[in-house]
Amino acid sequence: MGNHQLTSLIKMANQIAANNTHIGDETAEAEMVANHLTKFWARSMKAQIKEYLESDGSELLPIAKKAVASL
Amino acid sequence: MIQIFDPKNVDYDKDYGTPASVSENLVTLEVDGVSITVPEGTSVMRAAAIADINIPKLCASDNLEAFGSCRICAVEIEGRRGTPASCTTPVDAGMKVTTQNPRLGKLRRNIMELYISDHPLDCLTCPANGNCELQDVAGEVGLRDVRYGFSGENHLDAEKDHSNPYFSFDPSKCIVCSRCVRACSEVQGTFALTIDGRGFDSKVSPGQNQDFLDSECVSCGACVQACPTSTLMEKTVIDAGQPEHSVVTTCAYCGVGCQFKAEMKGAEVIRMVPYKGGQANHGHSCVKGRFAFGYATHEDRITKPMVRDSIDQPWQEVSWEEALSFAATKLRGIQKQYGRESIGGITSSRCTNEETYLVQKLIRAAFGNNNTDTCARVCHSPTGYGLKTTLGESAGTQTFDSVMFADAVMVIGANPTDAHPVFGSLLKKRLRQGAKLIVADPRRIDLVKSPHVETQHHLTLRPGSNVAFINAMAHVIMDEGLEDKAFIAERCETEAFTAWRNFISEERHSPENTESITGIPAAELRGAARIYATAKNAAIYYGLGVTEHSQGSSMVMGIANLALATGNIGREGVGVNPLRGQNNVQGSCDMGSFPHELPGYQHVSDDALRAKFEAVWGVTIDNEPGLRIPNMFDAALDGTYKGMYCQGEDIAQSDPNTNHVQAALRSLECLVVQDIFLNETAKFAHVFLPGSSFLEKDGTFTNAERRINRVRKVMPPLAGLQDWEVTQALSNAMGYEMNYNHPSEIMDEIALLTPTFTNVNYERLEELGSIQWPCNDEAPDGTPTMHEESFPIGKGHFAITEYVATEERSSRKYPLLLTTGRILSQYNVGAQTRRTDNQMWHDEDVLELHPQDAEDRGINDGDYVGIASRAGETVMRAKISDRMQPGVVYTTFHHPDSGANVVTTDNSDWATNCPEYKVTAVQAVKVTEPSDWQQRYREFNQKQLGYLQKAQTKEPAVAGK
Repeated sequence: MGNHQLTSLIKMANQIAANNTHIGDETAEAEMVANHLTKFWARSMKAQIKEYLESDGSELLPIAKKAVASL
Repeated sequence: MIQIFDPKNVDYDKDYGTPASVSENLVTLEVDGVSITVPEGTSVMRAAAIADINIPKLCASDNLEAFGSCRICAVEIEGRRGTPASCTTPVDAGMKVTTQNPRLGKLRRNIMELYISDHPLDCLTCPANGNCELQDVAGEVGLRDVRYGFSGENHLDAEKDHSNPYFSFDPSKCIVCSRCVRACSEVQGTFALTIDGRGFDSKVSPGQNQDFLDSECVSCGACVQACPTSTLMEKTVIDAGQPEHSVVTTCAYCGVGCQFKAEMKGAEVIRMVPYKGGQANHGHSCVKGRFAFGYATHEDRITKPMVRDSIDQPWQEVSWEEALSFAATKLRGIQKQYGRESIGGITSSRCTNEETYLVQKLIRAAFGNNNTDTCARVCHSPTGYGLKTTLGESAGTQTFDSVMFADAVMVIGANPTDAHPVFGSLLKKRLRQGAKLIVADPRRIDLVKSPHVETQHHLTLRPGSNVAFINAMAHVIMDEGLEDKAFIAERCETEAFTAWRNFISEERHSPENTESITGIPAAELRGAARIYATAKNAAIYYGLGVTEHSQGSSMVMGIANLALATGNIGREGVGVNPLRGQNNVQGSCDMGSFPHELPGYQHVSDDALRAKFEAVWGVTIDNEPGLRIPNMFDAALDGTYKGMYCQGEDIAQSDPNTNHVQAALRSLECLVVQDIFLNETAKFAHVFLPGSSFLEKDGTFTNAERRINRVRKVMPPLAGLQDWEVTQALSNAMGYEMNYNHPSEIMDEIALLTPTFTNVNYERLEELGSIQWPCNDEAPDGTPTMHEESFPIGKGHFAITEYVATEERSSRKYPLLLTTGRILSQYNVGAQTRRTDNQMWHDEDVLELHPQDAEDRGINDGDYVGIASRAGETVMRAKISDRMQPGVVYTTFHHPDSGANVVTTDNSDWATNCPEYKVTAVQAVKVTEPSDWQQRYREFNQKQLGYLQKAQTKEPAVAGK
């Protein structure tokens, strides 16, 4: 078992966050990111990124962290 | 009285001599005593033809403007002097026309006599025998005698030109009617042909008296189709003779969706002739659709199912039953061991709607998960996301014909003359009529500099700066007050608009401030924005240069914002038009290929929508989205994804970062590939299910205009089963029963479950020729133009599109930006076109680079160049080209050995994971040998082809001993 998927997931979550940080309201931004993850990510992907946040989470951008935490 | 306005009454097999007039004013005249009412501007010839009075003609054809050179169509008109040509004479109210009398008969015979005095009399052995307009007219006018004899000066010994692989040019048969020349200019817009010389010396000349192959000819074949004699003739007809029956079907190359008459002899296609009734192509085609169909019967076709336990073993040919049960057992075994979500599949954007629907149904119903995806992931998934968010529907807004009403056209990241040639020709026609053109592309694509087309602005933006560019366009429009306030107030959400206006008005988006990012001079961009915003009708056409970026979805939304802000939505001549890459990429998206959406873009998490499908399918559907293609690869490498069913797609060649993809494929325990050839992906497979080409099946394709076109079987499937039958059999082998007898039954199920397809069925398709969805009770005949009254989401939604620079940028180590694309003669991974004579135009991928970049590196034209990125390295020959801007290099990906995708990275669109093919930071250096990857590839390829050979030589177990 490697961590190819996790590396990708962290990158993807951060990218989604970076593309939704124009509102100026962190809560609203995190909600947009969370909605995106809910709507487009597979169950296993969501579980993996959540697990990562709980165990470490250091590589996630603040908005991404907030979004993942709310899943 | 005969009245003809209803296009349904047009006989597409008949040549009416001159084009239809679109005037709404009607004129009544009399032809040979028959009263006829036709639109003003109709020619006398066409009016007569509508009444089935067929005036002899040679230089006239209804896809070309009247020319009046042959004079065979002369008629008498009461009260007028002489004998005017009926093709160039427009109808007049009360006109009385005589088409046949002794005087006209004699005149026509005299003209024919002159023609025939310089024409070989080898009719019986001539390839056009049975389909020659000259012969027909000689018969019609009653030519009995050629008084001039044949001993005078003539052209009978003119030299033939066989240089084009698909057609021959025999000038000895030419009557200089100019139909070929006019087809090349009026229909195709290439202007490769001209009449050289005067009077008796007049002759058709490709380029400047060159061979066809050496001239600018793009081999679209419009000239061959236009030729009334055998001067320009398909080589297949020369070899096989005239076809005896024909079937109308739809091309399987690009997203234009041209219809063709497959002209047959028995079960053999002799030639493909673009069908005049085809509503996307109106009788035109390109070199691929018309000529490159030989792959369908190529010797590389695999026609027997094969299996093997490991990819290091030879293939074994087996029966369909064995192969399917082998696959079913393996896939079920994997699920048992690793869980329900450990397998998935990829639907094909090359196959029919019905086949795609069945594959995703198999995955959702038989596999029990949503791990389905399609190659739209790697091309137009951002279109789906972006247009759904802003306009409410994941599709283009117009018909192709709509471009004929556009006053300004902006082409962004698309190369229509190469990738969508038939639309490219239509666009050029409109541009020659004076519509303004803006091209946004890092390269100087052909459209920028084409005959009689003037480009107002070529915005040479830097790869990766799209969103900065589109934001600057919108900034200018708002800054200069060019927006359509009434449209915005009436049709768009106010709150979202206000937020967007505040965002876009910020000075940081101005062209002056973004010039350093985009590389576009501010004045140039302002000029372009003014043209787009102030034209009465402005249309945007875009391609993968928009979507295949880390901000592909943002860019699509930026384009939609621009159209909304200027009110360029909801009527003819405007719109947002994605040019789809593959024949059925629109259809594969519509059919629920994406892991989060059921057919018709219905989200899997919506209980009510899911319930509808569950009731019809008789299963429970997972309410969570599944894995997308790149996620499947990652999961495969992590060991949680073990089995895959891949229909008609070559992910090993087409997907980015080949090393990563190949490693993922190697880690699968069961890969089932269904294809017509042993493609690159199949070299990693355990089960090979032979597929059927578009000529061997019934079904439908949906083109870029949302147009559902019928695909009709013209020959039996070489392997015995159509693709949908194979999927059905696999499903049955896995224990989920499917019992369709014909694709029309599958379409009925699609219509039942998809609100935009409610009224689509095969009978309606026969009746209407094609249907543009949505087609339901609100729009019983389909919807040519979307969003006329309102949007599916009510009001248009302005989306905020912040520019976020891609991580992939040039550095000291990788100072160049590589962008990839395709060319006219080859198609995508080349599986089809590489197996045709299209190879003559492009038999290897090359790296195009600017002379300055080449000089800096000591690279000469034709040198081997190593191209390295952080993902991998490959080697190609260099082609020095001033189409490129300094710092940007370009290549195609049509040949597996060139490994273009070894270099591309796994960067992708933030919203959809569409790969960033269009931006890869690379370095190029002169080298002398292939890259390590290429050497490994060649070895692996040899080994796999050997495994295939072993399977095929084992052959007849019965007849063997």
